[in-house]
Amino acid sequence: MFGLFTPRRILYFTAEDHYLYRSARGTLVLEAKFPGNDLGITAFREHLRNARGALFSVLADLAGEDFHEEQIPYVRGTDREAVVARRLAQRYRDTRLAAALSLGQATTSERRNERLLLASFTNTQQLAPWLDALEEAGARLSGVYSVPLIAPALAARLGAREERLLLVSANRAGLRQCYVDRGRLRFARLERTVEMVPQALAMFVRSETQRLVQYLATLRAVPRDGGPVQVLVITPTGVRAAFEQALHSDARLQFRCIEFREALEAVKLRQAPEGAAAEALFVHLAARKPPREQFASREDRRRYTLWQLQRGVVAAGAALFALCLLVGATRWFDALAARGDAAEQQREARVATQQYERITSTFPVTETTSENLRVTVTEFRRLAERTASPDDAFVHVSRVLAEFPQVELDTLRWSVGRPDLRELEGAAAPVAKPAALGETAVLVEISGRVNATQRSDYRGITAQVQRLATAFAASGYELLRTQLPFDVTSEGRLSGDIGGNESDAPRFTITIGRRLK
Amino acid sequence: MKLTRDELKRLALPVVIGLALAAAGAALIWSAGATRLAASRALAAAQAERKQAVERLNRISDEEREVSDKLAFYQRLKSLHILGEEQRLEWADAMTRIRAERELLEYPKYVVERQKLIHSYPAKPGSVDFFASTMKVNLALLHEQDLLRFLSDLRASGYAYYSVRKCGLTRTGQAASGTTMTPRLRGECEIDLITVLDRGAKR
Repeated sequence: MFGLFTPRRILYFTAEDHYLYRSARGTLVLEAKFPGNDLGITAFREHLRNARGALFSVLADLAGEDFHEEQIPYVRGTDREAVVARRLAQRYRDTRLAAALSLGQATTSERRNERLLLASFTNTQQLAPWLDALEEAGARLSGVYSVPLIAPALAARLGAREERLLLVSANRAGLRQCYVDRGRLRFARLERTVEMVPQALAMFVRSETQRLVQYLATLRAVPRDGGPVQVLVITPTGVRAAFEQALHSDARLQFRCIEFREALEAVKLRQAPEGAAAEALFVHLAARKPPREQFASREDRRRYTLWQLQRGVVAAGAALFALCLLVGATRWFDALAARGDAAEQQREARVATQQYERITSTFPVTETTSENLRVTVTEFRRLAERTASPDDAFVHVSRVLAEFPQVELDTLRWSVGRPDLRELEGAAAPVAKPAALGETAVLVEISGRVNATQRSDYRGITAQVQRLATAFAASGYELLRTQLPFDVTSEGRLSGDIGGNESDAPRFTITIGRRLK
Repeated sequence: MKLTRDELKRLALPVVIGLALAAAGAALIWSAGATRLAASRALAAAQAERKQAVERLNRISDEEREVSDKLAFYQRLKSLHILGEEQRLEWADAMTRIRAERELLEYPKYVVERQKLIHSYPAKPGSVDFFASTMKVNLALLHEQDLLRFLSDLRASGYAYYSVRKCGLTRTGQAASGTTMTPRLRGECEIDLITVLDRGAKR
């Protein structure tokens, strides 16, 4: 349905007979031949009975083909279509088979124009029944071409790069002459021929070419002083020498001959039908490389356009799939490479682990693994470093108190923790911020009273407590807080009964701390 | 070109095929992407595993030395029964024994709170967990030295690592009667009884 290599059928249409060729994979096969009368049309209809949905082209090789050059304003899109359609309607009575070939721009001092070559057949009625037959059979008509429309493509395939070229070929329909100007068709004519010997045919070619060039010169299509016109002649196989002998170049014409066999190779047509003349080259190119310009109307080509649309949609999907396949394949390749690398890494890890186990099997026998052993011991030591015993603190307090016999101890609180700055700030006699603050430390809070001193001697009591506090701040301990018996700080309240209330000995609290390692 | 209803119908199948191909392509890319991502992750994991294994192998001489160094300490912890499950009856026995040996005035009043996990360190093949049970003990003392001896005996009794958090001494204010031994001080302590559970150890 959407095959890429769908065979194409080309109806080669001459004034007498019509030949149906099938083109597939570089070969051209003559499928049928129909006479150009009602019997031929009937036979053609019969032939098409089994060709529903097949691809068809029509290649007309007729004498009555009109070429007319016009200029239109340089417009694009639907405006151009409308202008072209109007010009074709003005030029031709029947526009079913009419085409406008662009010849490029023509810039004048006033405006920019586009040059057009309007082309059609003088008698389109001879083609109409055949096109109707195709329509009725449901065939897909890709286009209606004439041999001159194919000529620029054939000239290019034959390596003719000349600016102005006459391509001359002996077809079944007759001697075809196509004038190609800068790669674009300008004019063509068909002169009917009869069976003749090569020398006579060559002479006929020469005389007809001279006539055509003269005609083109009168039309000013060929400049009079523009040098010789290049003429490329496709000769029948095996008669090139005879043609070259007859077609000698002069000041007006410069001939170059190429044999039909060589031309077949140039257009990559591997197999031509038996008895086919140069038209096989045009038929092949019409099937394989048809030009954009052709004669059929949009309606005549509707089935073909729909088929192209169907194929285009599937092709777009296939192209997208192919692209995804490419991207996917790249990713798969990456994944495979990564898996390979991972396997290699795992193998190396296994080898290292086995080696490790082999070596550790010679270690002293333990009840646990090396890692657990290390973690247990390391973390236990770390924990032990953060703990302390009260013994040292008690000894330190005892030694200091031994030097202050007038001081009696009430309570002693030992703890491990972080000193709280807020608590210390509430002290009656705060000290400078000690280094132990914010870190885990041993904290010792000593509360007691001062005996053997008059309570009214508040200066003496305060001095004794301060001396005691200073004495505690030794052996690695820092003084964190001193709560004096009397609040003598600026923040406190000094009342008139300081040193009164003789019944109770003045009490104090001293807090010292020592940082743990 | 405006398409007729019949022509649109004829376009339906190619459109379906085109969309199916596009969807298949997208699925293919997604699948390949997922496979590549999984392979990259597997590679990263394998690289990390290899790096770890090689580093461990390179450290083996240090490890051998470390094992020798730490083994004695580990065995000491084991012999003291610090390593292993908590054994509360042993603690009770220790309290009774200390009281008897030190001839304390009163039987120590103590409460051991519920065990709690204080640290868990990941290791292979099992973690090393540190547990603590806080004991609050109240003692009647004749002299502050009794408290220090009590703590020393407790430490020596094993079955836990005894981490003293708080300890306080307060005067009772009771006067000595001369006929009976009267406690002059009260000691109050808060002690964490720490045990270590090595989940990687052979049972």
